[in-house]
Amino acid sequence: MPEQPLSSRGELAAVPLGVAGQSTLRERLLARDERALVELIELATPWLLGLTQGMLHDQDEAEEVVLEVFQTVWDRVGALGEGHEGLMPWLLRVARNRAIDRLRRRSRWRRKAARAEAYGAAGGTAVPFREPDEAGHPGWHVHESVHAALAALPEEQRAVVRLSYFGGLSHSEIAEQLDLPLGTVKTRLRLALDKLRVSLAPIGDWIR
Amino acid sequence: MTPHDWYAEHRAAFVARALDAREERLFADHLGRCDECTREVTRLERELGWLPMGVTPAPPRPGLTHQLAEGVLRRRSAWRRLAPTAAAAAIAAAALGFGVHERQRGDTLAAELGRREAQLAAADSERSGQLASLAALEDTLSVMRQAQHVVQQDIAMNGHHGRLLIFQDAASHRWNVVMHGLPPAPAGEVYQFWFITGSGMVRSAELRSGGSGAALAMVSMPKVPGPVMGAALSVEPAVSRSVDQPTGPMLAHIEF
Ligand SMILES: [Zn+2]
Repeated sequence: MPEQPLSSRGELAAVPLGVAGQSTLRERLLARDERALVELIELATPWLLGLTQGMLHDQDEAEEVVLEVFQTVWDRVGALGEGHEGLMPWLLRVARNRAIDRLRRRSRWRRKAARAEAYGAAGGTAVPFREPDEAGHPGWHVHESVHAALAALPEEQRAVVRLSYFGGLSHSEIAEQLDLPLGTVKTRLRLALDKLRVSLAPIGDWIR
Repeated sequence: MTPHDWYAEHRAAFVARALDAREERLFADHLGRCDECTREVTRLERELGWLPMGVTPAPPRPGLTHQLAEGVLRRRSAWRRLAPTAAAAAIAAAALGFGVHERQRGDTLAAELGRREAQLAAADSERSGQLASLAALEDTLSVMRQAQHVVQQDIAMNGHHGRLLIFQDAASHRWNVVMHGLPPAPAGEVYQFWFITGSGMVRSAELRSGGSGAALAMVSMPKVPGPVMGAALSVEPAVSRSVDQPTGPMLAHIEF
């Protein structure tokens, strides 16, 4: 969805308090502590990069999007105290939206290539993503939870989520890609997202 | 079914950005008027907030996190973009085979540029074989100095790392395209420069990388309706000139 002003949407919210008496990353960002920004960049960049590279298939562009995300955080740091969305989900959402905007600006030729790649990656196989290879990475437990939630979906629903959420394709593009009726795609995506909402709900923020 | 049911049914699709552009605009307009949908969309965003972490994290290349922090804190406007003077001087030097480092200050580079131009002017008959190309380069340099928009992107080909620079000259409506650091194209293939336009990819000049490793082309805007939105560089079979779409590996894809 198009980005709206952070202040009106109440984003970047309640990151839980860490050790008592110690400022959270959010609080330090609010205080414009540059070291907090550096910490955030180190924690979040691998995830943002994994997302944007996977969507854009272009490392330079992916890095540009990640830079834009952190610039947005730093510009809007005053709004960090509002709303109820965690810091990390907010970063992920902004990154994904920016990546989709870029995908949609690409020429038709390029988008077709991206679609083919997205589908190739979905491949109709049972495993939607590469297997974990860095289990010690901060936030890895979230990745595992999301992975498990996706793995629990029926394969046809997972393919639609893959193309939509990680490929940036619209309903009609997915229908064209998978050669399915539009209504079927809409239904599968809605069912899948309903299930994912339930299974992702218990995940808490891991950036303190 | 009331008119509002459509919105209620498509909230998750809106959050997933699965709506087509027209529907997405419609929905976004509606959000401005409907508290219920705004509330539900916010809730859905929160509930699905972790879904993007289903991807495997990508380790940043060395130095990237530092570069990002610098980029945010110092707000360098020059993330992969250079000021025209500095870029022109840097590429002039690169094209001439001199190793000017692009991070030098613009004034130093401007002085460097002057010196190089003087060298060009002083090119004597011993270098007669190069005079034609030097004259062309002088012409290019004169346009580069007026460039109003300079874009660059790193490119890689068979283990070689180079760069594509584009100097857009709003006055002449010409672009000066410079590629350097790449070897000559493989036998039977060419480096092909493309415009990305509203009506698709439009074939432009070939870039011939010679012994110096640099290639320059001055290109005119494509004759298609609509704006030029970007540029691309690919490797194409030399025989495919009649094909109007890229078919080979894409080395650069730049959007403005
Ligand atoms: Zn509504």
